[in-house]
Amino acid sequence: MGDDDHSPLESPEGHWWNQSVNRRESIWLGISGAWAVSMFGWMLGWTQVGEQNQTGQTYEVSTERYRQKVQSFKEAAGTLEVDGEEVLVPDGNDVYVGALQWAWDGLPVVLQPGETYNFHLGSYDVQHGFGVRPEGNLSKQISLQILPGYEWVVEMSFDETGTYHVVCNEFCGVGHRSMHGTFVVQDHEPVETGSGGSESSDAAYGSWFTSDARGGATDFDGEPTDATDQSDVTVEVGADGNGGPYAFAPTAVQVSSGTTVTFEWVSDNHNVLVESQPDGADWEGVDAFENEGYSHSFTFDAQGVYEYYCEPHLGMGMKGVVEVV
Amino acid sequence: MFGLSTFDYDEDGFRECDVTGLTVHKSAEDLVKLFGVTAIVSLAVGGAFALTVALTRWEAIGFLDPGQYYRFTSLHAWFMILFWMVFMEIAILYVGGPFVLGRKLSLSRLGWAGYGIMLAGGALAVFSIATYDLPNQAPFYTSYVPLPSPAPYFAGAVLFLLGALVAAVPFFVTLWHEKREHPSKTLPLITFGAFITGVIALEALVGGITALTPAFLWRIGFLEHLDAAWYRQMFWTIGHGSQQINLLAMITVWYFMTHVIGGAEVASEKISRVAFVLYLFFINLGAAHHLMSDPALSSSWRMWNTSYAAYGAVVASMIHAFAIPAGLEAGRRRKGAGGGLFGWLWSAPWKDPGFSSTILSIILFGFLGGITGVMMGQMQLNMSWHNNLAVPGHFHATVVTGTTLAFMGLAYYVLRLVFGRDWFASRLASIQPFFYGGAMAVVCLMMMYLGLLFGVPRRHPSVMDIPGTAFDFSPSEPFFVVFGIAAILSVVGGALFVVIAVGTLLAGGTFTPPIVEDRAISPVSGDAAPPHEQSMRGTFVLVLVFFAVFVVLYALNWFLLSQVWEIGP
Repeated sequence: MGDDDHSPLESPEGHWWNQSVNRRESIWLGISGAWAVSMFGWMLGWTQVGEQNQTGQTYEVSTERYRQKVQSFKEAAGTLEVDGEEVLVPDGNDVYVGALQWAWDGLPVVLQPGETYNFHLGSYDVQHGFGVRPEGNLSKQISLQILPGYEWVVEMSFDETGTYHVVCNEFCGVGHRSMHGTFVVQDHEPVETGSGGSESSDAAYGSWFTSDARGGATDFDGEPTDATDQSDVTVEVGADGNGGPYAFAPTAVQVSSGTTVTFEWVSDNHNVLVESQPDGADWEGVDAFENEGYSHSFTFDAQGVYEYYCEPHLGMGMKGVVEVV
Repeated sequence: MFGLSTFDYDEDGFRECDVTGLTVHKSAEDLVKLFGVTAIVSLAVGGAFALTVALTRWEAIGFLDPGQYYRFTSLHAWFMILFWMVFMEIAILYVGGPFVLGRKLSLSRLGWAGYGIMLAGGALAVFSIATYDLPNQAPFYTSYVPLPSPAPYFAGAVLFLLGALVAAVPFFVTLWHEKREHPSKTLPLITFGAFITGVIALEALVGGITALTPAFLWRIGFLEHLDAAWYRQMFWTIGHGSQQINLLAMITVWYFMTHVIGGAEVASEKISRVAFVLYLFFINLGAAHHLMSDPALSSSWRMWNTSYAAYGAVVASMIHAFAIPAGLEAGRRRKGAGGGLFGWLWSAPWKDPGFSSTILSIILFGFLGGITGVMMGQMQLNMSWHNNLAVPGHFHATVVTGTTLAFMGLAYYVLRLVFGRDWFASRLASIQPFFYGGAMAVVCLMMMYLGLLFGVPRRHPSVMDIPGTAFDFSPSEPFFVVFGIAAILSVVGGALFVVIAVGTLLAGGTFTPPIVEDRAISPVSGDAAPPHEQSMRGTFVLVLVFFAVFVVLYALNWFLLSQVWEIGP
């Protein structure tokens, strides 16, 4: 094969640059070039006449601030019962979606068909994916990236009524597969919104359990559990409440000085961070995310209120109090 | 090296290859063997992980629990996309440079050092994936900040890339020496392709080190914060850049293999080289298509980069799509091996696994991988592809049915021409590329259907059961059955390759040139006119079919998107 004149293994001889090109190869070059320009033109044209363009303002925003925004959205929203479930009715045309490990805060909402909404997409922790499809037609689906530190506002308008399912399309940790939310598109009577939500009249423990505090409102009914007659008290971490396994049970507990409280994890991926405690107290909580079966004990001596919360699920209202009386 | 080769070198360490006519030096050949064998071992391990991953996603089997699924998928990615690919690519650089130029490998010690660093870095990364614990999470391939991947993982990844960088240096130095000695001599096309591959590799590796080093510093607490959008953009310089290395290495292998086995010649030096130069300038920003559905990037940035890639890189790929079959057609017509429209193709050595792997790679890469890549690179279409199972469908079509098949074809000839051993079980070897390529093509198609038509997300161990809701993706189940069965067959096909390769090394007979099957063609019976004056009508028909499929699929994908609700202004 050393005799080959046109081997790719040998240096080409003579003025190879000037060698003519086969006519069919030239035609193919022309087709390729024209096709590339057409595809570009189509993409550009679609921004003008097409109805699906994932463009919109992006704002830099801290995860903490975004959490507050979603909270304000939830407070301003009205509620409506759809299929036995209470869903939010946005106040105006802005819808805030907060992605967190492993839930969709701000959802479910009910939207009017034909109305244009500004979807605000943001994260409380890591990267997530906003993958949406109507229940009845899985092939009508899109996915948008959600980044912590950024709030992306994308307009959307729905004609087809029904339930839309949101699953996370970006791996976000061990609970990724369980991250699911919904919204509903249906005609409904106007609902009163903008009232600021159901402000709890009972401002026990400052405003820790209300929407004025970090993480927003909770399921807490304002009545602490009295355990002052017990020397060992157990608090379940990740008990049912706040729309999932996102509660401490009991949420607020009163104990006597010197009582050992044992925190027992009954579901996965929670921690216990101390928000505030009396002067001189040195409870450190549990920084690491722990799973079912884990437990942590601490003997509470100093009198006063110890406020604590679960970091990944603060946005769901996973907050608690130990009060030494 | 390994004591497995049957060749002898002269006292200067050179030997002449009777098939290719190349003068090969021991310094380069030893390293080709080392990197090649490491790659094949990695392919075997990665294949075992592939089986566990596929059998998990086929939920009727549901092999792994969710936590393990994330871990095993990460391991699968590392053994395949990093070890199998990158080790093989370094071997290809050494073939494309010193082998083709008939030179020693300059600074060959750096090749050994690079190998050592890659191995150490790779081992660290793999070990940390195998052993991580909460709060660390599976890194997969992307290790997106701020999801905490294990700190040693980032260190291992940086080290691996650094090793690849070091191993690339001897290739460049060899070329530099060649140009110093023969300043006015044009490099052979294969060497030129390998050179462009090397430059793109450098860009990718430097980009990767730029992304992963801060990620490591962030993970050990030295940096307090790392911006997620910045990390994504920097990560994809290596994340997709490394796929461009695969692409260019594969195309270089296509030119090499069609020539060595099929008798292809260069249809046009000018056009093929221009296509490589287009890659050099344009393909790197093609990586922007990973950010098409991201916040924080303006639509003009996204449009510019996708159009930029469309103009530059897609046209370059379409040029090769013509030039390589045309080279085969022209070369075979010249040698009297092609009459009529497709005679050159029917008479080709289809029983030779080196040849059939190469041709299947060209076809499957083009139809399945290339077209889908262009589609998801369109800004709006990207929404319907982003992060669903169609994306792994696309990149398995490119990296498996494209690059892996091409590398397997090359490896068949590494066994023959470098180790000097003929294939053990040659009957099986003839079937293997068809078996593997066919099954893998079905796997890719199923993933694309599942992603586009059912919106099944990627990186999800269970879509038939989503905890906490009645909603699931059960209508897609029949497709998963086909997917699962095809995946099992693919793994069997891949295992066949490993068995043949290892069997050949240990028990294959001595290979005696020439390549029997196709050398019956006689130069005298052919047409003496140079390649560019030969008829390329067969190739022209083939590329028109390709173009028609391209247009139809493009239109279908836009139709699918147009059915979705209104999004954006």
